Amino acid sequence: MIKKFLRSRGLRKLLSNRLAIAALGVIGLYTGIGFAVFLGAITEKDTEARVWTDSYPGYPHHQTAEKRLDNCEVILSRVMRVLETEGELSEVAFAERSVSDASIEELTQKVQAGLALYEEIADTVGSLNDNPEVLPRIEQLEGFVDDVYTPLTGWSSLVYDFRLFFGTDRQGRSILIRGIYSIKVAIQVGVVVALIAVLFGSVLGAAAAFFGGWVDHLVIWLYSTFSSIPHLVLLTLLAFMFLGHPLETTLIPLYVAFCLTFWIGPCRVIRGEALKIKELEYVQAATAVGFGRFTILWKHILPNTSHLMFINFSLLFIGAIKSEVILTFLGLGIKDGASWGIMISQSQAEVLNGFFWQIGVATALMVGLVLAFNILTDALQDAFDPKHV
Amino acid sequence: MWAYIFRRLIYNVPVFLGILLFVFAALRVNDPVWMYLGKGATQEQYETKKKEFGLDRSYPVQYFELLGDVVTLNFDQKSWGQEGLTVGELLGSSIKPSLAITVPALFLTSIISICVGLISSFFRGGKVDKTLVILAVLGMSISFLVYIILGQYFGAYKILKETGASPFAISGYEPGIGNWAHYCLLPVMISVIVAMGYDTRFYRAVMVEETTRDYIVTAQAKGASRRKILFVHMLKNAMIPIITRIMITLPFLIAGSILLEMYFTIPGMGRTLITAINDKDFPVIQVFTAMFAALFILSNILTDVLYALVDPRVRLS
Repeated sequence: MIKKFLRSRGLRKLLSNRLAIAALGVIGLYTGIGFAVFLGAITEKDTEARVWTDSYPGYPHHQTAEKRLDNCEVILSRVMRVLETEGELSEVAFAERSVSDASIEELTQKVQAGLALYEEIADTVGSLNDNPEVLPRIEQLEGFVDDVYTPLTGWSSLVYDFRLFFGTDRQGRSILIRGIYSIKVAIQVGVVVALIAVLFGSVLGAAAAFFGGWVDHLVIWLYSTFSSIPHLVLLTLLAFMFLGHPLETTLIPLYVAFCLTFWIGPCRVIRGEALKIKELEYVQAATAVGFGRFTILWKHILPNTSHLMFINFSLLFIGAIKSEVILTFLGLGIKDGASWGIMISQSQAEVLNGFFWQIGVATALMVGLVLAFNILTDALQDAFDPKHV
Repeated sequence: MWAYIFRRLIYNVPVFLGILLFVFAALRVNDPVWMYLGKGATQEQYETKKKEFGLDRSYPVQYFELLGDVVTLNFDQKSWGQEGLTVGELLGSSIKPSLAITVPALFLTSIISICVGLISSFFRGGKVDKTLVILAVLGMSISFLVYIILGQYFGAYKILKETGASPFAISGYEPGIGNWAHYCLLPVMISVIVAMGYDTRFYRAVMVEETTRDYIVTAQAKGASRRKILFVHMLKNAMIPIITRIMITLPFLIAGSILLEMYFTIPGMGRTLITAINDKDFPVIQVFTAMFAALFILSNILTDVLYALVDPRVRLS
């Protein structure tokens, strides 16, 4: 079957389509990244790690004099509090930077000097943001912060810069890291859902067409029933089934909801195709030779609908990724970790304040993958099912 | 014709029974009373609540009661989440806001995308066509939620912040035609923009398919102008796929309006349903999902009837 597929006209047509090759390349790249994350390149812990203090979304891309000043004050007074209460200095380590090993007296002196400088700058009359004279003094203040914390060097400073590349969200977490981790979540959801739904739908559809009679009636009744509940209503209903269940925080409710909703498309299409194939001569020949009914179904009918399975896989993959975003926004989708849905839902408040980094990164990454799949679906349809409208 | 309509109605009866059964079962997988009361409730409270809503009776009895309520449109069950309101009152007050978004959105989307599809197929292969196709595919790849978030920011929030005028409300809803544009126009526009990507592509494919038909060659041979072929001959013959498409988009519109209603806090059916899910408001969820399904089946039957009206061949099969 694989040999036949490799020599088929459809595949040659697909490979001669340059756009389709580019789309395949993009999908390969995403899958590679997703797989690297899956193997542990980025863990869920990394997505929760803070690379900057909270409530400063967009750091370091949206820096005003006032914000830089506030930031220094937050960091320095946090160290001061620990010094005064003689607590553990490791507690105020942030963004992988630990407090320098200098003696307590020296640290206290630096922090106090820094805070004094802060008071001085803060007392400046008028708006800080439009005052060029303030800038060198703020840099001086930031120098104090750098003195208190050991600077990052070499590899770890590169990693730190990488994490700050697209800035931070409202909780001070790296947007880039969260975006990349979400690739894995999206691909995982897409592959699991599309694979199960396509296989389930195809087997059911082909069986309905081949056996006819009550099997056919049952399958038709089943898919008209499921397709008569609006998509999102069905998804919310299924997600509701798992509320409060121990499995609620895993991805399993999402898989179940998507699979039960998405199997209808492939089932309908493949039932139609199998009805046509059933009447063809080679199936009659196979029956005449004496093959069992299940053998004919499994070996002669299903493989000949494989092009439709590919097309449907690609369609459902897109559907799963896009529905994840919507369900997550409604509070019924992914709950923990990071995903494009979580990122886009969380960016609501940031957008109202004019920060577009989080929604931008999540959307750009998502568009890349979905667009590639859209182009691939079109190319697959052109190559293998040219009569389709 | 009437025999045909009757056949379609009969055919959909088992489907509707199946939906009700599914909704009925899905809502009872997790005990709805425990979900509502939470883990801290006593056994006694649980029993009282269960008895109050008749959930202690056997499943067949409950199923047929639900069926009876839906068929006779008897919705006087009390809502668990919103004190003092019945399901019927909630349904009645939420249908209008939903329709205020869905109907104009459906209407505008269909008209605009049929026109764009025609234009695209008219200039098939040219620059205009290519640009439109690329735009449509790109538009389809962006999440609905992103359109809503950015639409609200640029359409309502930013204008209010910079000019002080507020042509579109950031969120909320007031009944009345005078208020429609203020509260509903922005969600409708977002909905139209999102649906355009899908519809334009589809209508273009339909029109392109029609151009290969024999009657087009005949029309060309008798000397009809290209414009006339496109808008008179083709459009008429493309009516069947167009009607199907409009009817198929109905459930997507309902789904889409759930998101819009959530985001713009418009008290429509979708928002009421999601609020009910968050409140574990069992009677409301049960009736609302059943009604969504009933509306959907009705639109399916309507599609079949429209088919039969447009294409007499359908009636005979």
